[in-house]
Order: sequence, then C-alpha cells, then structure tokens
Amino acid sequence: MNFIKTNLSFFHYIFLFASFSLSPLGAFEVQNIPVQSEGRIKPLDTFARNMLLRFYGKREIKDQNIKASDWLLDLILNPEDGRNLKVFNIRNPEVVSSLFLEWSTQHKYSFNEIINGIKNQVELIKTIDQKESQDRTPFEKQLLELSQSAIMFEELSYMKNIKLIPPALLDENAVWQSPFDFIISGITPAYHQEEILNSLQQYLAARFQKNELEMNNALLNYEKIVSDLSFSTVDVKKLKSETWMNDVNLFVKSLAFYILSFLLIGISWMAKPSFFRNISFFSLIIGFLIHGYGIVMRMYIMGRPPVSTLYESVIFVSFILLLLAVALEYFRKDGLGIFVGSVGGSILHFIGFSYAADGDTLGMLVAVLDSNFWLATHVTTITIGYGASLVAGFIGHLYLIQNISDSSNSKKLKSIFNNLFGMTLFALFFTLFGTILGGIWADQSWGRFWGWDPKENGALLIVLWQLLMIHSRLAGIAKPLLFALGMGLNNIIVALAWFGVNLLQVGLHSYGFDDGVARNLYIFIIFELSICLFLYYFPFIKSRFQSPRVL
Amino acid sequence: MTINYLDKFLKIIMSPKVFSYTLIWLIILVFFGTIAQKDIGLYASQMKYFSSFYFLFLGFIPLPGGRLVLLLMTVNLFSSMFKRNLWQLKKIGIIIVHLGGLLLLAGGGLTAYFSSEGNMVIAEGESSNYVDDYHNMELAFVNNSLKDSLEYTVVDESLLYEGSRFQIFDEGPEIYIISNIKNVRIENRISPADSIYKGLLEKFVLLPKKPEPENTQNRPALIYKIQGTSNGSDGIYGLFLGQGLNDPFKINDQIFHSEYRRERTYVPFNIELIDFEKIMHPGTNVAKSFSSDVNLIENDIPRRTLIKMNEPLRHKGYTFFQASFIDDSDVETTVLATVKNYGRLFPYISSIIMSIGLLIHLLLMIPKMVRRKSK
Repeated sequence: MNFIKTNLSFFHYIFLFASFSLSPLGAFEVQNIPVQSEGRIKPLDTFARNMLLRFYGKREIKDQNIKASDWLLDLILNPEDGRNLKVFNIRNPEVVSSLFLEWSTQHKYSFNEIINGIKNQVELIKTIDQKESQDRTPFEKQLLELSQSAIMFEELSYMKNIKLIPPALLDENAVWQSPFDFIISGITPAYHQEEILNSLQQYLAARFQKNELEMNNALLNYEKIVSDLSFSTVDVKKLKSETWMNDVNLFVKSLAFYILSFLLIGISWMAKPSFFRNISFFSLIIGFLIHGYGIVMRMYIMGRPPVSTLYESVIFVSFILLLLAVALEYFRKDGLGIFVGSVGGSILHFIGFSYAADGDTLGMLVAVLDSNFWLATHVTTITIGYGASLVAGFIGHLYLIQNISDSSNSKKLKSIFNNLFGMTLFALFFTLFGTILGGIWADQSWGRFWGWDPKENGALLIVLWQLLMIHSRLAGIAKPLLFALGMGLNNIIVALAWFGVNLLQVGLHSYGFDDGVARNLYIFIIFELSICLFLYYFPFIKSRFQSPRVL
Repeated sequence: MTINYLDKFLKIIMSPKVFSYTLIWLIILVFFGTIAQKDIGLYASQMKYFSSFYFLFLGFIPLPGGRLVLLLMTVNLFSSMFKRNLWQLKKIGIIIVHLGGLLLLAGGGLTAYFSSEGNMVIAEGESSNYVDDYHNMELAFVNNSLKDSLEYTVVDESLLYEGSRFQIFDEGPEIYIISNIKNVRIENRISPADSIYKGLLEKFVLLPKKPEPENTQNRPALIYKIQGTSNGSDGIYGLFLGQGLNDPFKINDQIFHSEYRRERTYVPFNIELIDFEKIMHPGTNVAKSFSSDVNLIENDIPRRTLIKMNEPLRHKGYTFFQASFIDDSDVETTVLATVKNYGRLFPYISSIIMSIGLLIHLLLMIPKMVRRKSK
C-alpha cells in the first residue's frame, strides 16, 4: 500500500512536471494580474521580482522562502510587518554608518531601520540630488539610490506606484493608473476600471482573512474582466507565460544539462567512451532544446526578435554556438562538438547571468532600435556570426591542444583543421553580411552607411581579422598551426567587439556597463593570450629541451 | 626594361602579401582609432585616423591613415583581378565575391569625397530651406538697411582663423579675426571695458573652455575687429553660436549686424514642419517613436509627408531623417539629419553581388563535395 502511495505521488509529480513544463497556461493566479511598468504590461510577478531585485538584490527572499509576489502582497496587507522585514541590501559600510546603523555581515536592513537615518540625512541627500550624475561618488550614488528606493517602498505599501488599472479609454500608449490614484483624485472609475478595483479589493480582503475559496473567486472575476477588455496589449496567455518563465528559469535548467553533458564527456574519456559520449550528447541536446524554448518564449512575450539587449545577445550567441556544436558532433561523432558545446554554452550562460542580475528585466527599447525588421536581420545575422566565430575559436584551441597531445595523428589534425577552416568561412559569411546589413540599417535610419562608430569598428575588426586569416592561409603565408592560433585569438577580438566597445561610452550604440565588465575583459584577454601562445609555442620549446644541441 | 619594371611593380602591388599587410595595418588603425574616440571624440578621431591619408604619431612620425590604406587595398584588389590563371570557370563565384568587395570599396571612396551631411532644424509652424553643417561655421554680415529684404554677406570658415584679415566689400572696412574659440564660456566683466569693446563685449568676456569630445556639445565663438568704418563703429566685437541679441554697426551709412552660425547649404525646396509628435513608452522617459509631419514645398506646391524614425524622406538626392528634437520652450522643434550621398546605393548593390558570388561558388562546390563523399 505504501509502495503504491509513493508510486502514485511519484507519477503525480511526473504528471505535474509534464503539465507544468509543456503548458505554461495554468489557472489565473494572483501573480498573473497585469501591471503597467517600465513601458509595458507585465504580470504582477515580474513587477514584484524587479522591485525586490532593486531593494534586496535578488528576485526572491530565498532564506525565508518568500516569493516576490507574496512579499509585495503581504507588504500591502500588513505594512507594519513588511516595514520590519529586512529587505534592503546595503553593501557599502559608508552608507550604513551614514544612516546611524550597525554594520551587519548580512547586509540586510528593514525599512524601519533605514528610514530614520534617511530622515536625518535629508540635507545631504538633497545636495547629492542637485549634482550631475557623473560628479557623484559611489557612496553618494548609493545613498541617493537607497533614499529613492525607500520612497518607492513606501509607495508600494499603499499601492501608489502599482499601475494596476487600465485607462478609461483603452489605448496602447496611455498610462495606467494605480488604485491610489482613484482614492486621491476622486475620479469616477469607468465600468471596467470599477470591476477591476472591486475584484482587487475582493481578493485582498479574502487574502487578509486567508479565505482560499473567496480568493479564487476573486481571481476568476479578475481574469474574466481582463480577458474581456477589447485591448490588444493585455494578453492573459502572455501574462501566464511570463509568470511561468519567471518560475521555471529555463536557462538555469539548460545550464544544468550542459554541465552534466560536460561531466559525462569527461567520464567518457576515462571509461566506456561511446556509451558515455552518447548520453552526454543526449544531455547536450536536451539542454539545447530547453535553451531554444526559452528564447522562443522570450520572443513571444516581448513580441520582438530574439536579440535586442546585451543579455539577450549572450543567450542567443550561446544558442548558435550550441547549434553549431551539435551539428559538428553529429558529423564527427568523436566528442569534439560536445566539448565545444558544453564548455562554450556553460561559460556563456554564466556571462549571461551576470548581465541578467544587472537588468534582465525585459525592458523596452529606445525608438531607433524599435524596428523588428532590422533587429531580425542585422542583429540576428551578426550574433550568428559571433556564435560561429566563438565555435571556430574553440576548435582553434582544440587544434593547438591536439597538436601537442597527439601530433603524430596527422589525419585527425587534418580533419580538425578542415572543420576549423569551414567554421571560419561560415563565421566570416555571417560577420561580413551582418556588418554590411548594419551599415544598411544605419543608412536607412541615420543616413550614413559607415560612421567609424565603436560598435561598427568592433564588428569590422572581426571581419578584417577573419579575412586576414583566410587569405593568409589560402596564399600559403600562414600554416595550419598559425591559422589555428589566429582563430584562437579571434575570441579576444569577438569579446572586444561584443563587450569592449561599450566601455568606451561614445557613439550611437553605447548602452550600459559597469567596471566589473572591464576587469573581466582584461582577465579574459590575458588568459586567452597566454593560453594560445603557450599552446602554440609549447612544441617548439619542448623539442628544444628534448634534443639538446650536440656540441 | 621599363616593361620589366612595370611587371615587377604590378607583381608587388597585386601580391596577396600586400593585401595581408594592408589588412594588418587597417586592424591596428581601427583598434587604436576606436580607443582614441574616448579621449578626442568620434569626429576628431575619424578625421585623424580614418579620413586621412597620413597622420603624425607622437606628433612627428608620419604613418599611413585610413584613406591611404583603403586606397592601397582597392588597388591591390583591382590589380589582382588581372592575375593569370584567375579567370577560370571554377573560380567565377570567388571572382564575383571580390568584384562585389571592390564595388563596396569604390562606393566608400565616392561617399568619402562626394557626400555631405548636416542638420535641418525647423520649429513647428515654420519652414526651412537650408542645412546646418555639423562641424564647419560661417560668419554672416547682414545688411538691415534695405527695403523689404535682408542682404547677407557670408564668410567661409577657411577665412576665420586667428590673425586672418579680409574685406567684405570693396573699399569697405577691414575685418581682423582676433580669436576663434572652439568652446566658449561667457562671463560678466568685473571692471568696465575699454571703449574699443563694442556690444556684447562691453558687458561680458568670452573665455575658452575645454572642448567636448563631441563637437555638437561645443558652443563656438568668434572675436573680431572692424577697422576703417570712419563712423565710430570701429571696435572689437564678440559673437557666439546661438546668440540672441545682435550688435548693430554701420558700414557706409548702412546698418549691419553679424551672425556666427553653422555653415549653411541651401536645398532647392522648402520643408515646413506642421507637427512634431513624440510617443513615449507609457509611464517612462523612454521614447517609443518620433515623427515629423511636414510639407515639402516646391514651386509653391506643398506635398504633405511624414518623416519617422527609420522612415526618412528622400527627395532630389537629399534624404531627411528624424534624428532628434528640441523641446525646451512651448514650441517643439524637430531636427532632421540631412544627407546627400551619391555612393549610397553601392553597399546595397555590392552585397547583392557578393551574395550571388557566394551562391555560385557553393553550387560549383557541390559536385566536388559529392565526389569526395562517394570516394
């Protein structure tokens, strides 16, 4: 009996997982209710997560197991407790002492703790506010930001800045209102606005009394009203999908499969090569499918092509890298593709996550970028080029390693070289046409094909480098080994063009960055340079030591 | 003998080594030219490294600039088209790709020498028929004494260097440029000015300020002297870009004032701004779209059209792009980037040619690949 029970619950879980993962469209939860924020309609869940990210530094309160939306609703229903919850993450001891607080290694403080300090520092904060933003010291920036966060927190607790109510006249570009706006302004709400206000009130009251049934009724009402709005931007399916995406974290899952795949390919080198290589490949493909599904979902939610921010470019480039790696493995069947895919995919995922923490908030785009046609053509082409360049770079490394570890196997060396050369041609095709398409976009929207802007120059550098490599090889100037070194170093150029140019902060393409990026970029360049040069020169050094000159 | 030398020269100029070296130099140039943009700004760096035949490294070592390198590359590519054993059917795809590349480079050359760009700034309800240059300035003397019209006499930037002397009218007074300031700071005078200072300079001083890397953020100014009017208008005058009040002076009993403004290029039609509209992403400061509803007036016949981001107006070789706006008073003002470029179709054509070449090459490769597979 016990056995059946465990089994049942096991199947129950499988079923739950399947229904959960295959269809993001469950019941309408409170997390799904639409809010307008940062220029678009998003589920309350995303809104709450972004708020928590701002105060707390993370999207949920993990150590107390509180979800962002629950935190927000509890703050609204029970502000006294909410104000005592330690959600403000302050990592700068100067800020802590300026607010008359004790330094804590947890770095977490409650609203009630910080608010007195802020009140005492009003004069200081005012003077900081009057400064130009580039003249503010890090301490000043953080203090100012904290005081703004405190105001925001206070406004959240009485729903002043939660734009839950669609405008009376349903228009895509109109600003939504918060429940507070209705209370303070005394405007008579339109019919649909009143309906939403009522269901909201019904839900909050039921939640306060912990009445599950009543809560569900309120949400059913809510869904009905929202679905009935003849209003193109509120799409209940999209809201549910986004909440689901927030919950399942697809890219964390794909990363897990990539790491698993890497471990398995490692094991395959030690025991049962073909068996472990096959499961490793399987795991890579599963990860790849999840990865691709994540990208498709993001495209669906935002209604735009896959790449429009730096974070999305990282995720998409790693997707292209995986696609090429899977193809490579399919043709070679010797683990090389798996190695490239699992290592490259994992590294790029980690890079992506570091950008996600900064601002993967599915934000809106400035006007010139808001063009689906060009995002779909130029940006996609160029990121495919980046992905292929990275794969070529990886194969370049592997060629250099193979040259050291087993240089006698010239057949394998030659086959790796052929893949390397083919991948370089493939990469050149996409970087070249991506760059030309970028020029054409620039011609269409700014009136010049080429302006020597940093981002353009970065893309040009990749093209020139690959042209140089291919022509030198074809003209016989560069031997395969030198070509492999060149393509290994190509990774540095890709990194500079991709992340480096943003550090310059000039021109039309510049978007946000922080000092950490510069540091990591330097580390990467030094690392790649030393690894590649070491691998390249190692055989020469070795042969010199092994055969001492006869005097 | 001479033929021999020519052969040798051709051999060098068409050799793949020249291509490799020019590529390496171009890579170095692009890298450092890009880094330099952080300090000296996009335009200055472009002028120094990319739009030049040579530049001085450390102030005295001449090194080849972008134009020279690209010219060399074009010559190399062009001459390599005459190589023996190149024109074979199996290489036709690759040849086409390189012809496309050649066309791209040629178009670049054409654009570099025969294109002009600037801004057309129009306030709502007004119209304009000229384009302001991004970088060059001009000094205009305006005759206010004519009936029903203003007469402009314009001095080109090339005459506005420090120490320059010129006359704007025959037998008229001499103009002497005292200083040409790239970026100016305007301050009140502490002590009363000498009587030689006229107008603006009686109350204020124009002091140079460190120029910003982006030229458009600078406010240039000019200080000049007029001598020989014989009517008391002799003196030192100051002018800055966007100055509101004019300082009148007399030349030959006619009243003039001067304007320091961006160099104007006139277009053979008028553009009237009916309405400028900007839509924000709701509840944010991020613009979703800008657009200018304009009348294109030619021979007094207006044609109504809408200029939007990514949807420019093209007319008579000029293209007007929605570039920016000014929103500081009650009237909205649109800024249309205006370009005239004879080379603009080259990238389009050359990328199509290159694609065709690659396609042909791939098709020609298929039998070879099939043979290799069947082996």
